[in-house]
Amino acid sequence: MDITEFLRDHGLKPNTWPMFADPAIWRFFGEGLRETVLISLVSIALSFVVGLLFALGRLSTRWWLRWPSIAYIEAVRALPVLLLIVYFGIKGSSLFRPFFGAEFELPRFWAGVLGLSMYTSAVLAEIIRAGIVSLPRGQTEASRALGLSYPQSMRHVILPQALRMMVPAMMAQLTTIIKDTSLVGTIGVFELLRQGSTIYNQFFNPIEVLLIVSVVYFVICFTLSQFSRRLELGRAPREVRAKIQEVQLRDQAA
Amino acid sequence: MIPGAIVLEFPREFFGGLWLTIQISLFGLIGALALGTVIALFRVSPLVVLRWIGGAYVEFFRNTPLVVQLFFLFLGLPYMGFRFATDTFDSIFRAAITGMALYHAAYVAEIVRGGLLAVEKGQIEAARSLGLSYLGMLRYVQLPQTFRAVVPPLGNIAIALVKNTSLASTIGVAELLFAAEVVESRTFRAEEAFLAATIGFLLLTIPLGVVVNMLERRMRIAR
Repeated sequence: MDITEFLRDHGLKPNTWPMFADPAIWRFFGEGLRETVLISLVSIALSFVVGLLFALGRLSTRWWLRWPSIAYIEAVRALPVLLLIVYFGIKGSSLFRPFFGAEFELPRFWAGVLGLSMYTSAVLAEIIRAGIVSLPRGQTEASRALGLSYPQSMRHVILPQALRMMVPAMMAQLTTIIKDTSLVGTIGVFELLRQGSTIYNQFFNPIEVLLIVSVVYFVICFTLSQFSRRLELGRAPREVRAKIQEVQLRDQAA
Repeated sequence: MIPGAIVLEFPREFFGGLWLTIQISLFGLIGALALGTVIALFRVSPLVVLRWIGGAYVEFFRNTPLVVQLFFLFLGLPYMGFRFATDTFDSIFRAAITGMALYHAAYVAEIVRGGLLAVEKGQIEAARSLGLSYLGMLRYVQLPQTFRAVVPPLGNIAIALVKNTSLASTIGVAELLFAAEVVESRTFRAEEAFLAATIGFLLLTIPLGVVVNMLERRMRIAR
């Protein structure tokens, strides 16, 4: 049997392909892609800052910093990222009303950023902590002996080394975040997948649209993951690699 | 703000949701382990074609979002004349399980492949030359080491899978997150509803995490 005959008999309409010659459709996808990239970059930046704070908190000798940090990291990592996204999608506005007034509406973009960042910050905190812990004790001891305070030795000696080691892991986390942005469509952010679903709800061609969307995600994520593999993860110490593997398996969401 | 109250008010939603989450996780995990092992064998096979198919499978499923795959199973397949079941509930339930199995199989395949390659050729040759039969070598040399290398990361996959079952809510499966959304839309008590779902997920993932960490410690190969 001919393939087009097969597709026609099984309900697929091969004649919806010509509509993709229209540049308007590609502009529409392009807007979604821009939103996807933007939300990924904002989220990874925010997650990095928050994650760094929680990593330092978890390593602190003060119990009132350490325990809340452990609780945050472990609880958030144990939750589905979609649950956080949907929660902020529903309640995000009222959470900020005490600060910005009763009329405040949290833009959906930022609700998505909050959900993604809360989750990713817990994951990055674990990655950063593994990097800090893996450095030889002598590094801290030597810098303290030279008269640097704890914050100074962190800032000038420990973190620059630890973070450099973490670059490939963070690249890998960016891949995960890009895949996870496909979830913020559920709260009404017009990212790539959501734009796609608008198209197939109009033209009844989910197969074609989802194929195109998959290819776009694949090209971005595959390129990024190949790139992060290039960055010589192998040079990191064994405990760091183990932690990164654990985090990437356990916390890779969607 | 006591989540217990709302759970007792909507027991069918929450307990039904928890039960669906557990079912999808279990069936999805079984499917992912079976399929992933086959793909791993493809990837270490001497045939180039099989290696290529295995590699393409892993890269495709790892580098596209799970929701897109679920949407394809849920929306795309019916357009091609394929339905999982005539009943709508069974249909999306099976689509969700299939999606979980397909996606996580890619990760399982990478782990199993790593486990098979973790045993050096020299050890296998040494075991054979010491007079162990092929089965004896498998039993006493290769499989114990593969098992040790594979079990803790597979536990991590199981945790990821339990969390990812929440994505089934996007295609309408009434699992735990869906239950929270339904109850919230009826009562507007978002805090309680989501706290209840949160506790449900924590009850599943935290004990799993403890077990995995224990296994990790016990199975660490001394080097």
